[in-house]
Amino acid sequence: MKSRTTAVLTLGVLLFALQAFSQSDPGIRGGPPGAGGPLASVAANNPITILNFFNDAKTRFEEVDSVNGTIRGEKGKGLGPRFNAMGCARCHAFPATGGTSPAVNPQIVDAGADGAVNLPPSFVTLSGPVREARFIFFTDSAGNPIPSQPNGGVEDLFTIAGRSDAGPCTTSVISQPDFASAVAHNNVIFRIPTPLFGGGLVENIEETDLLSYQASVASNSFGIAGTFNHNGNDGTIARFGWKAQNKSLELFAGEAYNVEQGVSNELFTQEHPTPEEERVLGLPNPCKLNATPEDHTNFNVGSIDTLSDSVQFAMFMRLLAPPERSPDTPGGTDSIKKGEEFFNKIGCEVCHHNVFPSFSSSITPSLDNQKMNLFSDLEIHHMGSKLADNVSQGTAGGDQFRTAPLWGLGKRIFLLHDGRTPDLLKAIDQHSSTGSEANTAVLNFNALANTEKQDLLNFLRSL
Amino acid sequence: MWRLTRHSLSSLFAICIGLPVDAGTVPVVPHGVILVKGATPGTSDSVTPLPEEGKVAGDRYNNAYFNLSYPIPAGWTEEPAGPPPSDGGSYVLTQFAFWDREPQRVKAHVLVSAQDLFFSANAAQSARELMASLRRGVVPQYEIERGPEEVKIASRTFYRVAYGAPIVGLHWRVLSTDARCHALTFTFTGRDKAALDAAERAMSGISLAKESDAPLCVKGYAHGDNVIEKTEPYLATRRFNTIPVRVTIDGEGRVKHVHLLSAFPDQSEAIISALRAWRLKPYIVDGKPSEIETGLVFGTPRAVARGNAAGSARR
Repeated sequence: MKSRTTAVLTLGVLLFALQAFSQSDPGIRGGPPGAGGPLASVAANNPITILNFFNDAKTRFEEVDSVNGTIRGEKGKGLGPRFNAMGCARCHAFPATGGTSPAVNPQIVDAGADGAVNLPPSFVTLSGPVREARFIFFTDSAGNPIPSQPNGGVEDLFTIAGRSDAGPCTTSVISQPDFASAVAHNNVIFRIPTPLFGGGLVENIEETDLLSYQASVASNSFGIAGTFNHNGNDGTIARFGWKAQNKSLELFAGEAYNVEQGVSNELFTQEHPTPEEERVLGLPNPCKLNATPEDHTNFNVGSIDTLSDSVQFAMFMRLLAPPERSPDTPGGTDSIKKGEEFFNKIGCEVCHHNVFPSFSSSITPSLDNQKMNLFSDLEIHHMGSKLADNVSQGTAGGDQFRTAPLWGLGKRIFLLHDGRTPDLLKAIDQHSSTGSEANTAVLNFNALANTEKQDLLNFLRSL
Repeated sequence: MWRLTRHSLSSLFAICIGLPVDAGTVPVVPHGVILVKGATPGTSDSVTPLPEEGKVAGDRYNNAYFNLSYPIPAGWTEEPAGPPPSDGGSYVLTQFAFWDREPQRVKAHVLVSAQDLFFSANAAQSARELMASLRRGVVPQYEIERGPEEVKIASRTFYRVAYGAPIVGLHWRVLSTDARCHALTFTFTGRDKAALDAAERAMSGISLAKESDAPLCVKGYAHGDNVIEKTEPYLATRRFNTIPVRVTIDGEGRVKHVHLLSAFPDQSEAIISALRAWRLKPYIVDGKPSEIETGLVFGTPRAVARGNAAGSARR
C-alpha cells in the first residue's frame, strides 16, 4: 500500500513538473564574446598592411569625441552641437566593440560629461538600451502632433551646452528637444544601434542572389511577401539600418557620425540640426564652432592617417568578422539542432534566411565568395501594428522593417528595433499583430510544445 | 485615427486646420495603429469590390471580389489581419486558428490567400501550376504526403498538395483554385490531424462563383497594338518600387476600373488619371465586345523567376 501511494505521489509530482515546465529565454550566452575581431584573412594580414588598417580603424572607432579635441581622453574632434553619444563604441559596445547596446547605458554619463547640462529623457535609463529618438509627427507650438506633417528625423538627445569646450553654445541658444511632451503625446519612437559584425560580407552580397532568393520563395505557404528598399539615386538595393535605408557601409558610417555624434564629414557635410531647426534657419550660429567638415581627408600626413574617420569607420565594419555560433550552448547540441529544424520548418527561415554567398571581393579573401550565416533576406517586411514605428525611410513605410540579421543574437541584451525587451519570447510574440507578414509563422511557433519552443529558443541563443 | 480618451475629435480637427486646441486636451498618437504608410493599395472608385476587402460575418468569411463565402470551421477564431497586398501580387485574405486554451497552444490554422497570376514572381500561370511549383519547392525540406491532385469541392476544381515536417509534427494541406486569374489558396497547417480533417471537410460548405461567371481575365492585353490611345503616367518621384495594377476594360475599350495593389498615393493618383485617357481595342468574344480584366506594371518591374510573358484569355 505504501509503495503504491509513493508511486502515485511520484507520478503526480512528475506530471506537475511536466505541466509547470514552460519555455524561457536562456538569456545572453556566456563565455567569450565570439565577435569583435577581424576577418581571418585580415588577421593574417592578407593583403599586406590590411591589418594595420583594421587596427587603426578600431582605434578611431573607440575614440571619444569632444567639441574641439582638446579635452584629455576625448581627442576626437567635432562633437555636437547635438549628439546622442560621444563615440561610436560607446553604443556599439556589446559583446565587443562593433556590437550593440551594452548593459550599462553610456548615454547617462555622456549627458553630463565635461559640464554638459542635459537632462536624460525618461526613456533613457542606466540599465536600459542605448536609444536614438525620432518624433513621428511635427508638432504645433504647444507640442501637439500634426498628423499631416510626418517627421521621422532623428532628435538628438543631448546638446553640448554647459560643456567646458562649448564656448558660446549655451542653453540660452540651444536646448534639448521637448521629449517630455513627445512622450505625453506618444509622438516619439526609438531605435537601438544595429550590430556591425560581418558588415563587409553583407555589403558584398550580389543583388542577383537577393533577387533570386526573393523569387524562389514567392509561393511560400506562410503569407510572406517582402520587398526591397532601394537607394534613391541609383535604384539598387539598400541594405543597412533598421529599414535597410542605407546603401553602403560608408554612407552608414558618414550618416551615423553626423547624426549620432554631431561630427560633420565628407559624406554629411553640415552639422546636424533637429528636424524642427531644419525647417527654419538651422542650428543657432553660436553653436557652429568648428570649420566643416570636421572630419575629412588628412592631407600631407602618413598613409593610414590620410584617411578620414568615416572612411575608416566603414573599413572597421567591413573587416569585422561575423559573430561565432556555439554548437552546444545553451541547451546542448541536440536541442540546438532540433531548434534549428523548427526554425526552418515553421516559417521563420523564409525571412531570416540562413545562408547567402558573398560575391568575389577585391578587398580580402575572407570576403571573397564566402558563405555567410546571416539569417536575413535583407528585404523589408510589413511587421504589423505592434512593431510599427510610423517612421518612413526610403520606400519603407511605418510598419516595414528590414529582416534583422540574427547572427550574434545569443549575445544581444536588448531586442527588436527599439530594444523594448530583453526576452526572446516577447520578441517573437511582438512579430504577430494586425498587418504582419509573420502571423502565420508565429501561429506555427504557438503550435509547438513547450520543450520544442525551448529548443528553438536555445537555437536562437546559440547564434 | 487618434485615441480619444483624453481629447475630442474637435481638438484633432482643430489641430489639423491650425486652430487653437481647447485647454486640457492632449492629442495622443494612438498606440498600435499604422499611420505612416509606405506603398498601399489604391482604387479608382470606392464601390467596386477588391480582393483585400473580405470580411467575417457570423460564421462565414465573405469576399465579394471572388464571390466567395467560406464557412469558418467550428471553434476556429479569426486571427489578426495580414499585411496589405504585396508588389508581387500576393494577398493574405484572412486567417483562422483553432486553439487549445489550456495549455494555450495552436492545434491548427488556415491561411486564406490569393496570388494574382498577372504579377507573380513565380512562373506559375494557374492554380494547378502553382501547386506543382509548391510541390517542387517544398522538397527536400518537407515530406510530400500526397499530391498534387485534383479534387472537387462544391463543384469547383481545386488542386491539393499535402506535405509534412515529421520532426516538427506539422502537416500542411494546401488547396488552390483559379479565380479571376488568381490562385485562391487555402493553406491548412497543424499538428492535430483530426482538426485538419474537420477543417478540410468544412470546405464543402464553401460557395464560390463559377469561373464562367467571373469577368474574363486576359494577361498582358493592355500592350502593343491593343492600345489605341495612351498617356503615360507622370511619376514625379523616383522610388524604384513595383506598382502592379489591375484594370477592368469595358466593351468599348475604356478603362472602367483601376486597382493598384501597391503604390504610393501620388503614384496612384497619377496612374489612375493617366489610365482614364487610355483607349484599347475592345476584346472580342464570339464576335461581341467583352469586358475584361488585365494587368499592368508601372514603376520598376519586379524580378521574375522565369519567363512570365503575356498569356491567353482565361476565366
